[in-house]
Amino acid sequence: MSKGDLISKGNGFDLLDQFEHILDSDPLIDEVGFIHPSQFVILNKEAESSKQQSKDEIWSSDNSLDHEDSNFWNRDHKLGISAHVLLPLYKAAKDAFMDSIRQYKIVENLPGASEDEMDSPRSSAMESEVMKHSKALLLLSCDFGTAWNSRKLILSKKRHMSLFSDELLFSGLVLSYSPKSEQAWCHRRWVIKMIAGQYSAVQEIVGKESDLVEKIAERSKMNYRAWNHRCWLVFYMTREQVLLELNKSRKWAGLHVADNSCFHYRAQLMLTILDLSWHKQEDETSDHDVEVYQIWKEELLWNEDLIKRYVGREALWLYRRFLSLYWTRHFATNVGDATHQSRHTSCVADDVNIFLDNELRLVNSCSTIPDNKFEDFHAQSIHAATYILWLTKQLPKSQEIELKKKLNAGSLLTMMNEACPERSPLWSNCLHGSI
Amino acid sequence: MYCDCKLIILMLQMGELAVDKHVKYILSVQKKRKDSFEAVVMEHLTMNGAYWGLTTLDLLGKLDVVDSEEITEWIIQCQHESGGFAGNIGHDPHILYTLSAVQVLALLDKLNVLDVDKVSNYIVGLQNEDGSFSGDMWGEVDTRFSYIALCCLSLLHRLDKINMEKAVNYILSCKNVDGGFGCIPGGESHAGQIFCCVGALAITGSLHLVDKDLLGWWLCERQVKSGGLNGRPEKLPDVCYSWWVLSSLIMIDRVHWINKEKLVKFILNCQDKDNGGISDRPDDAVDVFHTYFGVAGLSLLEYPGVKAIDPAYALPVDVVNRIFLGR
Ligand SMILES: [Zn+2]
Repeated sequence: MSKGDLISKGNGFDLLDQFEHILDSDPLIDEVGFIHPSQFVILNKEAESSKQQSKDEIWSSDNSLDHEDSNFWNRDHKLGISAHVLLPLYKAAKDAFMDSIRQYKIVENLPGASEDEMDSPRSSAMESEVMKHSKALLLLSCDFGTAWNSRKLILSKKRHMSLFSDELLFSGLVLSYSPKSEQAWCHRRWVIKMIAGQYSAVQEIVGKESDLVEKIAERSKMNYRAWNHRCWLVFYMTREQVLLELNKSRKWAGLHVADNSCFHYRAQLMLTILDLSWHKQEDETSDHDVEVYQIWKEELLWNEDLIKRYVGREALWLYRRFLSLYWTRHFATNVGDATHQSRHTSCVADDVNIFLDNELRLVNSCSTIPDNKFEDFHAQSIHAATYILWLTKQLPKSQEIELKKKLNAGSLLTMMNEACPERSPLWSNCLHGSI
Repeated sequence: MYCDCKLIILMLQMGELAVDKHVKYILSVQKKRKDSFEAVVMEHLTMNGAYWGLTTLDLLGKLDVVDSEEITEWIIQCQHESGGFAGNIGHDPHILYTLSAVQVLALLDKLNVLDVDKVSNYIVGLQNEDGSFSGDMWGEVDTRFSYIALCCLSLLHRLDKINMEKAVNYILSCKNVDGGFGCIPGGESHAGQIFCCVGALAITGSLHLVDKDLLGWWLCERQVKSGGLNGRPEKLPDVCYSWWVLSSLIMIDRVHWINKEKLVKFILNCQDKDNGGISDRPDDAVDVFHTYFGVAGLSLLEYPGVKAIDPAYALPVDVVNRIFLGR
């Protein structure tokens, strides 16, 4: 090892000490960021003007503290780390973590290491070393899976509700600045599964968890990992919670009409209530069916409203594909006017036709382009035409033929070929045959 | 549609693939690993990086510039006593890195160094009661892990060791109304997940269970005006989806539903012609990940001078033939 390496290594351990000291003395840190050294000056100035006494602190501090001030910035539970120290700090944190977990595993695997052994002061000192260093490391490198695993290993031995709660806070902190960290989301699911297996608090957590996703989705648009987490939560929800979530996410969806993930989440909630109403059918009254029918109808109306208000949004039309498909499959054929379950085939067909006529009207009204220059209207007309073609393909044969007649498929095909020539093989495929 | 010859002429007119520059770039990344924070924070997935970099080199016909003994030695050191591989020495094993390790050894024709039963037992042990696969001992489930398990076991000739019917049924349970697939049942359709599910179904000979027109429709709607492909509705195009969308379209025989010429152009526009490498979108910074997916996408598009890649195994066709046909 060269002399230069030794110096930087020593420096790294000092930095790690400082870093872990800050984390230890301020457990309520709720924001972390890597900042350019020049930002320290700005941040310190801001702090000076807001708090007179902090100025005295800075001026009274000796040289070494001054030096620390340019590595870390910690006020009001916000932590800034200078981009200049990231490399030595990371290396020190990684080495310290790898050492601590290696030692911990040696002790853990000693033959005859009983439960008592693991509760010994020596063992718990080792555990806290692993927890301390893995925390420091993960704040620097959020997808370092081995570090998350080491925390799972220790938590699975302790099984304290308070430790699980701490873990939700910690992974929440990581997600606040790395909202796409796959490992952090995965860690949360592991913690929630542990809680669900032991404590009954899981329903409460599910609600809070869903709020967290919404908060993160606000800053991190179309974050697949975040929304996937929210979809996963649906498994743990009661019917009441599902209905509540539908209500809660509606306003957000209306404000984020391009966020396909949010509409997929709503689709999941809709499918879940539909599913639950089927499973209840034997012993329950049809109250639930009527309710689901109403919800579905309202969702279709709401979606139509959004489509007309926000012109040219792909996500809205895709959501309509889903809503309409299930409508034709389940409500037009099962509930009809929401009072009887079994109806004559002719009536069923009537219902579907009324529905499809309405869809055709919507598509036609969205196909007029007021001014060719408006890209949104152009997109709207393509989405509308694609929507009705897609739906046509999914219908039973007899309805497909009926709808194609009304569609004037030939002129639609010409229109689509002009608007979207690269997809002409698709258009000819879906209009081929039964016209 | 253009016939192949015409397509090749068109491709050449579009501007060249800077093969030598990309090779140089890949090799420089290997060396630069320890100098910057941005590089060291990726060290936990060095195994994936090795797969991306080496497959790119092989597709470009330049695998011989690396020291295969040294790489094999390093891979062996990443194996855990459980049989699984870690992303780097001293890290925990995960199925994600296990596939990359097996793929790299396959590329280098070094599969013989493996204790095949040990590796396959690790994977078999990760199958759950419902047919799904966990990524490691901590139990996270994802259809990506199903693909990895099936792909890996197939490469090791050990598919018979798992419950294949359940594995296939689990994947089908992740199918959405739009024809696509998500991570878990009810998860949003995503081109990456679709590749995994379609690939897994292809490997198990179950593609007849896919509604090809419906899925093909969703996939070809991923092509945007610039010719690039996005991974989900309303997202920007990205070179990596050239691979995921395209390979899926090929496996379900619907690749003629997109405009190939425009896609080739999009990928070529994402090259850094001065320093090598390919980025996610034109003028962004390059990385190994997108360089691999760009070159692999061009390979699927039969770009001249790039070796053919197998859409399901994500390995050069000659490597796959060596494994299954013994030549
Ligand atoms: Zn990408």
